Amino acid sequence: MKKSNEFLLPSILFLGPTLLLVTLFILIPIVIAFRTSLHATTYANIDAFIGFEHYKSILGSSDGWMDIFNSVTYVMFSLTIVVPLGILVGVLLNRKIRARTLFRTILIIPWVLSQTVTALLWKWVLNSSFGPIALWWQQLTGSTIDFFNSEIAARVTVVFANAWNTYPIIVIITLAALQIIPEELFEAAKVDGASRRSTFWHITLPLLIPAISTIVIMQSIEYFNMVTLIYVLTAGGPFNATTTLSVRAFRTGFDFWHIGLGSAFSFIIFMVNIIFSSFYIRALKGKNA
Amino acid sequence: MKQRKSLDWNFTVEASTYTILAIAVIFTSFPILWGLTTSFKPLDQINVFPPTLFPKPVVFDSYIKVLFRSNFKVYLFNSIFMTGFTVLVSTALASHAGYALARFKIPHRKNIMFALLMMGMVPIVALLIPLYLLSVQTGLYNTRLVILLIYVAWRTPIMTWILYGFFSQAPIEIEEAARIDGCTPVATFYKIMLPISQSGLVSSALLSAVFVWNDFLIAFTFTTKENLRMVSVGLYNYITQYGIIWGELMAAAIVSIIPMIVLFILMQRKFVSGLASGAVKG
Repeated sequence: MKKSNEFLLPSILFLGPTLLLVTLFILIPIVIAFRTSLHATTYANIDAFIGFEHYKSILGSSDGWMDIFNSVTYVMFSLTIVVPLGILVGVLLNRKIRARTLFRTILIIPWVLSQTVTALLWKWVLNSSFGPIALWWQQLTGSTIDFFNSEIAARVTVVFANAWNTYPIIVIITLAALQIIPEELFEAAKVDGASRRSTFWHITLPLLIPAISTIVIMQSIEYFNMVTLIYVLTAGGPFNATTTLSVRAFRTGFDFWHIGLGSAFSFIIFMVNIIFSSFYIRALKGKNA
Repeated sequence: MKQRKSLDWNFTVEASTYTILAIAVIFTSFPILWGLTTSFKPLDQINVFPPTLFPKPVVFDSYIKVLFRSNFKVYLFNSIFMTGFTVLVSTALASHAGYALARFKIPHRKNIMFALLMMGMVPIVALLIPLYLLSVQTGLYNTRLVILLIYVAWRTPIMTWILYGFFSQAPIEIEEAARIDGCTPVATFYKIMLPISQSGLVSSALLSAVFVWNDFLIAFTFTTKENLRMVSVGLYNYITQYGIIWGELMAAAIVSIIPMIVLFILMQRKFVSGLASGAVKG
């Protein structure tokens, strides 16, 4: 009897503060967000109960579906660049090359930069009046370009800046996954006369896939939730071309002060996260099994 | 003949490896280098077309303005203070919680861990409005306390998971020996586990430091007072004012990234192991 009680008090003391904090600052706020999303609001004041009107106005409008479309394309195109690039650089960095540490350090650096700094650096590089890319564009095509004034160019720009900032994560995960592949596998392949290319396609890549698939789910969630990079780079423009659901949630709340509608966006984002997270947890479990 | 062909092939592989990596290096470093050269240019060389690559002469005007004639040093102090404090508090909380989950006999342990993982994955953007309402109602809006609490609540679940993984992989024999010698579970944690877990603690702390230092949304939403402002918001304010002063903005951006880059270069292994072990991003 004494044995089982031995853990009771320490458990409460060790776990209690964390659980309390999480309840107060994550769990309760989610409930409040849901409740607020069912009410009309003026600035920070919560008015009459209106049921699911906010949700209807989001999902029943072309603007709402445009935001969803923007989120999906932002996530998909970012992944399309980041995943192959990250795997390629990771595999190359794992080879026995000269100055490997130097290469690795430089190539991973964007990861420690914030979305704010990433956005500011690219905003300046792509500046249409004084930037080098605008100059080269002009020299190559003879026409001028403003990356923040055309819908297509702005969409490409945010994806590109995001890829720059986040591809090092795939590099790191690839490197980590490659270290645990036993050297004997490659030796055996060599003895059997497998070419480098077939070794890559038949041994390296299949062994990388479990690690990569987990991180791909994780990054999808991350990209879907991303606000800062887009907000600082384009503020969602031009003509809402780069307004994803998350950017919309933030701007509705804190640029336009529609707390109720913003909460409805927040709650939709929360639900999407729950669905994606369950995929993630399933992938993690699959990996451990 | 066969030998010859394989040599050629080897050379091609080597050459293309270096070529691809060199292109990647240019792609990666170009925006940073462009910002760096801009920050050393005299004012009349910044807003010109066509732009020049190198500053001539190199001047420190932008840095002097940012560091000595603006509030940026206040923002730097605030960011250092909040990052340090958050990392300390969340490491303390997460190490206790992680150890309890790894070693104590706790009813519903699996459920608690699942709940923590789920809570750790709730995005900040979904929490901003309710947290804003709560902080205004409780009078905590525009205080360091509320930002600290939000940062800690944001980072602790993920750190708990990382440290849980770390503790549960530690060899249990040492702890069993301590228990046989009469150590209580609590004493075992403080006397045995914490000292041997320093590398895991440092990895997860570094990871959180990057996230707090780089955060914009929380810092932007919960402070409007100038004396509480943090670096990321200070940077953002440069582009909202009329007529962006790019030289100063780039100097400020470079100053803000130096601590993280230095930390990263010095402790690269710990960063990478923290990231790889968690594979979780907030």
